Amino acid sequence: MATNKKVVYVGMSGGVDSSVSALILKEQGYRVVGVYMKNWSKDLPGMKCPWAEDLADAKRVAVKLGIDFEVWDFEKEYHQKVVEYMLNEFKKGNTPNPDIMCNQEIKFKLFYERARRAGADFIATGHYARVIDISNPFATTGANGEASPVTTGASDEGREMAVALARAVDENKDQTYFLYRISDEALRHTIFPIGEMLKPDVKKLAEKNGLHNAYKKESMGVCFVGEVGMKDFLKEYIEVKPGEIREIETKKVLGYHEGAVFYTIGQRHGLYLDGEKGVENDGLPYYVVKKDVKENVVYVSKNLNHEAIWTKELKLKNIFLRQKSLNSAKEKDIKSSVLVRLRHRAPLVKATFDGKTLHFENEIKRPATGQSAVLYDGEVCLGGGIITE
Amino acid sequence: MIYLDHAAATPVDKRVLEKMRPYFSDDFFNPSAPYLPAKKVASDYEAAKATIAHAIGAKASDLVITAGATEANNLAFSAASKKNSVLYLGTEHDSIRVVAKEHGGTAIKVLPNGLIDLNDLRNKITDETEMISVALANNELGTVQPLADVARLIREIKLDRLKRGIKRQLLFHSDASQALNLLDINVARLGVDLLTINSAKIYGPKGVGALYVSHGAKLKPLTLGGGQENGLRSGTENVPGVIGFAKAIEIAKEHINGNRKKYANLKKVFLDELKNYELINKKHSLDNFIVVCFNGLDAERLVFLLEEKGIYVATGAACAASKGVRSHVLKAIGLTDTQIAGSLRISLGETNDESQIKKAANIINETVKAEYQRIKNSHGNQ
Repeated sequence: MATNKKVVYVGMSGGVDSSVSALILKEQGYRVVGVYMKNWSKDLPGMKCPWAEDLADAKRVAVKLGIDFEVWDFEKEYHQKVVEYMLNEFKKGNTPNPDIMCNQEIKFKLFYERARRAGADFIATGHYARVIDISNPFATTGANGEASPVTTGASDEGREMAVALARAVDENKDQTYFLYRISDEALRHTIFPIGEMLKPDVKKLAEKNGLHNAYKKESMGVCFVGEVGMKDFLKEYIEVKPGEIREIETKKVLGYHEGAVFYTIGQRHGLYLDGEKGVENDGLPYYVVKKDVKENVVYVSKNLNHEAIWTKELKLKNIFLRQKSLNSAKEKDIKSSVLVRLRHRAPLVKATFDGKTLHFENEIKRPATGQSAVLYDGEVCLGGGIITE
Repeated sequence: MIYLDHAAATPVDKRVLEKMRPYFSDDFFNPSAPYLPAKKVASDYEAAKATIAHAIGAKASDLVITAGATEANNLAFSAASKKNSVLYLGTEHDSIRVVAKEHGGTAIKVLPNGLIDLNDLRNKITDETEMISVALANNELGTVQPLADVARLIREIKLDRLKRGIKRQLLFHSDASQALNLLDINVARLGVDLLTINSAKIYGPKGVGALYVSHGAKLKPLTLGGGQENGLRSGTENVPGVIGFAKAIEIAKEHINGNRKKYANLKKVFLDELKNYELINKKHSLDNFIVVCFNGLDAERLVFLLEEKGIYVATGAACAASKGVRSHVLKAIGLTDTQIAGSLRISLGETNDESQIKKAANIINETVKAEYQRIKNSHGNQ
C-alpha cells in the first residue's frame, strides 16, 4: 500500500504541546516521525536534568500514536551555539535569551536541515504560533484554517506561496517572541499544529486521546536552567567576583555583590545590602537600574521614576526582519508603525521603527540589554532585534 | 497487572512486613540507648543479623549492614588500596563498574555464553592485583558464574605469591544480590572473601543490604560517626529493615528448591509460546530469567506498548534503558546493536502463576507481531 503521504518530522519534548502536535498531524494523515532533540543532559548542583524522563515521555506518546521515533543528539552543537553564546553575552553584561538562539540555531536550523535530508516535507513543533499565507493581498491574513498545511497545496518543496509568522490564537501562550529569528526557508516548511488552539483545549485533547502527559507540569524558561535559576547556573561557568552595590543617585556604597554579570536590570532580589543607608530608610525595596561590568559595579535605586529605568527609545542590533515591507522602510528611512513585545507574554506596545531604533509612543521600562524586541504588524511577526541601549 | 520484572524489584512479602511492623512505632528505640527496652531492640537486631549471616554460612560479626547492595559493593572495593589493583567482570552492575574504574580497574572478558573467560582472568592477574570481583548471577542475563573455578584459580595465585614471598593480598568479591532465593549460598563453599547480599530482590524491604567480610579483608569505613557496624558504617541501625531482611532471607532459604522448580516450569510455559524468537543465553541463567531478542524491533517501544496492557517488563538493566545507553552487558556477550535494541528482559517471581504467564506470553506475541507489521507498513509508505 504505497501512498504518497507527506512526511512530517515533529520535535517531541515529552510535553503535552508537542505530543498533541504529533497527534493532530497523525490524524490529518501525515506520515509522522517523532524526534527527541537531546540538547542538554548535564545535572547541576541542586538541579537534576530531566532529559531522560522527558525522552521517555516523548517516546511513550510516539508509541501510543504508533509513529516512528528517533533521538537526535545536538548536545555539542547546542553547547557551541547556545550555551557559549549565552555565557559570552552575560560576561559582556548583557542578558541574552537562549531560547531565541535555540530556535534559530538548533530547532529551525539543524533539526530542520537534518529532517529535510531524512525526507521530511515539513517539520513541526509544539510552539504556539501560526504560519499564514500572505501571497494573496486580498486575503485577510490569519483567518482560521487558511494556514492549514493540508489546504495550502504544499508540495515537496514546502509551501510555494509567501508565508508569514503570525501570533497564536491563544494570545496568552503565543511564542512568536522566541521564533522571530527563524529563517523564512524553515518557516515555509514548518507546521505549528496547535497554533490555532487554546491551551486548555490542547490538554483536553491529550486527555481524550489517553496521552499520559496531558497534565504534566510545564517546563518554564530555559530548559536546562530549570529551577536553580540563571544566577546559580552562571556560577557554574563564571567565577564569582565581589564588587560594590551603589545607590545611583548618591553613588554611596550600600552593599556588595558577587559579580555584576549575575545581575539583571529590574532585579530586586538577591542584593546584599547591608552597608550605609541610602537616600532615606523608608523600607522600600531597591532595584538594579544599571550595571557597569567593566568596573564591576551594580547601581540600584528605590526611585521607580529614575531616568535610568524609563525610556522612549531603544536601539536595536542584529536586526532580523521577516517582511519585505519593513526592509524597504529601512532603505527609505520611512518610519513604520509597529507593535512591539519586549518580553515573552509582555503586552504589545505601540512604536515606530526606523530600521535601527524603536521610538515608543509612551515611556517604557528599559529592558536589559541583550533581550529582544519583537515587532508586529497586527498579528504578523515582522522580526525584531537585540536591544543595545 | 502482570509483573515480569522481579529482577528490578520485588514486593515485600506480607510475613516480612508483619515482622517489621512493631519496630517502627512501638519498638522504635535506638539500639545504642542505655535503658532496657532499647537493649531489647539491640538484641533483636543482633539476632536478625545472625539469621542473615547464618543463611550464607557466616557469623553475625562477619556482616556489615548497609543501605542496599550498591553501598555494600562500594564498601567492598575499599579493601583495594592501590590504583590498577582490581579486576572485575565486564558484565558487572554499574555499582561495581563505576567503583572499579575509580580504582583504575580492568574488565575481565566474558565468553559469548555469558560465562567468565577464565583464561582472560588468568592473563590479567598481576602481582599488583588485590581484588577480583565477579557477580554470582548477572542482573541483566541471570547468568550464573562458576565462582568455584574462579576461587580455585585465586587460591593457586595466592599460593604462588606466597612461594615467591609476595605479601600482597588477593581478595575475591562477589555480588550475590540477584541469586539469594534461587541458589544455596555459602561463603565457604563459594570461596569468597567478600560477598554482597540484598534484601530488595528477595521480597524484603528496599534500602537494606549487607557485605560479608572475611577476617583477612581490611576495609575503610563508608561513613564515620558512632562506630556502628564494626566502625565501617556509622549511623543508627535500620532496625525494621534488618528485621525484615532476616525474615525475607529465612523464607527465601526455605523455598529455594520449590522456587527453582516453579520458575523452571513457568519459564517453559512462557518459552513454548515464544519459541519463534531468539533466546539470549538460556543455558547458564537463573531459572527465573528470560532474555528474548526481537530482531529489528525497539524493545523500549515494546515496554511502552505492554505497559498499556498492564504487563511490566524491562529492557536490559532498568537504568540503561532510561538513559538511552545501550546495555554494556549485552554488548559484552557479543550481541549486535540491533540485537541489543530488540532485547527484552523478563524476570519471573512470586507474583506470577501459570495462567498469568500464558496470558502474558500471548499478549507479548501479539504485540510483537503488530509492531513488526507497523514497521513494514511505515516503510512501505516511503
